[in-house]
Amino acid sequence: MTDVTLPPRKRSRFFENRAALVLALLAPVLTFFIVFNTIPTLWLIGLSFYNFSLTSGMPPDFVGFRNFFAILSSKNAIWFDLSRTFTFVFAAVTVQTLLGGLLGFLFWGSKDMPGRRVALTLLFAPMVLTPVATGTFFRFIYDPTFGIFNYLSRALFDSGPIDFLGDPSLAFWSVLAVDCWMWTPFMTLMTLAALGSVPTAELEAAEIDRVPMWRRLPLVIWHHGKFIMMLGILLRTIDSFKTLDLIIPMTKGGPGQNTRLVALELNKQAFESFNMGWSSAYAVLLLLISIAMTSVFIFVLNLRRRRESGS
Amino acid sequence: MSRLKEWSYYGLLWLVALIFFAPIAWIVMSSFKTRSDILAIPPKFFFTPTLENYRELFNRSEIFQQIGNSIMLSLGAVIIAVIVSFLAAFCFSRFRPKGTDFLMFLLLSIRMLPGPAVILPVFLMYVAFGWKDSHLWLMLFYAMFSIPFSVWILKGFLDGVSTRFDETGRVNGGSWLHIIFKVVMPQVRPGLIAAFIFNLIFVWNEYLFNFIIGGVNTQNIPYALMVGTYADGGVNWTFISTMTSIYIILPVVFIYLFQKYLLVGMTFGTVRGEV
Repeated sequence: MTDVTLPPRKRSRFFENRAALVLALLAPVLTFFIVFNTIPTLWLIGLSFYNFSLTSGMPPDFVGFRNFFAILSSKNAIWFDLSRTFTFVFAAVTVQTLLGGLLGFLFWGSKDMPGRRVALTLLFAPMVLTPVATGTFFRFIYDPTFGIFNYLSRALFDSGPIDFLGDPSLAFWSVLAVDCWMWTPFMTLMTLAALGSVPTAELEAAEIDRVPMWRRLPLVIWHHGKFIMMLGILLRTIDSFKTLDLIIPMTKGGPGQNTRLVALELNKQAFESFNMGWSSAYAVLLLLISIAMTSVFIFVLNLRRRRESGS
Repeated sequence: MSRLKEWSYYGLLWLVALIFFAPIAWIVMSSFKTRSDILAIPPKFFFTPTLENYRELFNRSEIFQQIGNSIMLSLGAVIIAVIVSFLAAFCFSRFRPKGTDFLMFLLLSIRMLPGPAVILPVFLMYVAFGWKDSHLWLMLFYAMFSIPFSVWILKGFLDGVSTRFDETGRVNGGSWLHIIFKVVMPQVRPGLIAAFIFNLIFVWNEYLFNFIIGGVNTQNIPYALMVGTYADGGVNWTFISTMTSIYIILPVVFIYLFQKYLLVGMTFGTVRGEV
């Protein structure tokens, strides 16, 4: 299009400047990324081949792949943390999608509700609360002596004190519940967006054709809303995989290792034990997992784009 | 719908919203209680409110520095990030240089990595260069972390602005700078706002990076909440509830005022629309 509308003299100037312009526009971002991301990442990969601890005062010692072998073969380490993390991710995403989806349907068609904006603000507030504050305060809410949950369970079921965060069989699920409280509104938001993307004309057509609701759902609603829902699920999957500052103030990964997710373990090894070589190798493994998840995310996005430009 | 049915439906929705807000309301209520009222068994729903906690909070000398740090770090980082990202997003959207898709992927992947994995090599670098505990370098790191988000949001918006605007500007002899800032930029204002708000909330609530590569001088409120938990042999609940109540005002006001942009912000700009 440019070729048609621009006179020749202009066009040549345009192409001469183009490379310089592209470079000038990208330079700041590239600088930021090379300094704060590329160099550190290369440093990380390099360091993962060394035995290096900040506390020992010894210079880094090249050990090849030994850090990786140590992590992958150790009896009590990464596999347990990973399976715990994926259980966490799976449970969190399932509960949040189902509950959030349900609430999304519930809020669908509330356009004329009095005070809708305030109600939605209240509903979405858990998402923007500082995770550190959330975690700390939920320790109080869960407290076996002073906590309100224990008060309610005593009053309603006459049960003894329940130590939600100290009991090894409960801690994981208590932490999970807080994550669900925090992020179910996000899936509600996504469901509302997905429902909003369904063309009204098709919904009206279904209404006129008297398509029953249970058939309307897969035929009309899911057809249009599935990409937004899938993006929501993917974003939640990736985000809950990273969960860290919500759990630290609640349990610090305990009791035992019951709430120790990969991010917490890495945080502890790197910044409490200062096992830099080992931690770097651990971080490289997490990097590979994250790249895989990002690729899936991008793949789904591209599917959507292709569909949009195709139709 | 009959009137009764309509009102019970709205009542139910309000109930859901209030249930989700209840823990936060409990925090805010606690901030107006005395220490013994907070720890009372059974929990007190009715009590004589006191402002003593707030008075005590603002008597802590370091509190103003911490709040100042929170404001300065988040504002500074996000302003830098949005400007830098806008330029890059314009470039990606209009010129599509080779490797655009790969760069966009690379940008996003940093947001997908658990925090400690991101900060570990940066920590070593900061220690080696003596950049730790410096406002400038912490702000620049936060800016870098806010860039991916902003580029994704802004590219989505820029793709929606017709290239005819650029062409018209070029034909009429406008310089690229004029086109970028005077012609195109005003049209993506919603994108700029969304990028600004959501990165601001992120940096506002960020704890780990501040803890690891910041220090005594640069500590923000999440840092203070994490380390200030214990006092006088117990958990300092008055401090936590009071500080949290003050601290959540800004994000909550933002999601009220900018509800239109909530969806864009929460999904890296990959989903657009209003709720």
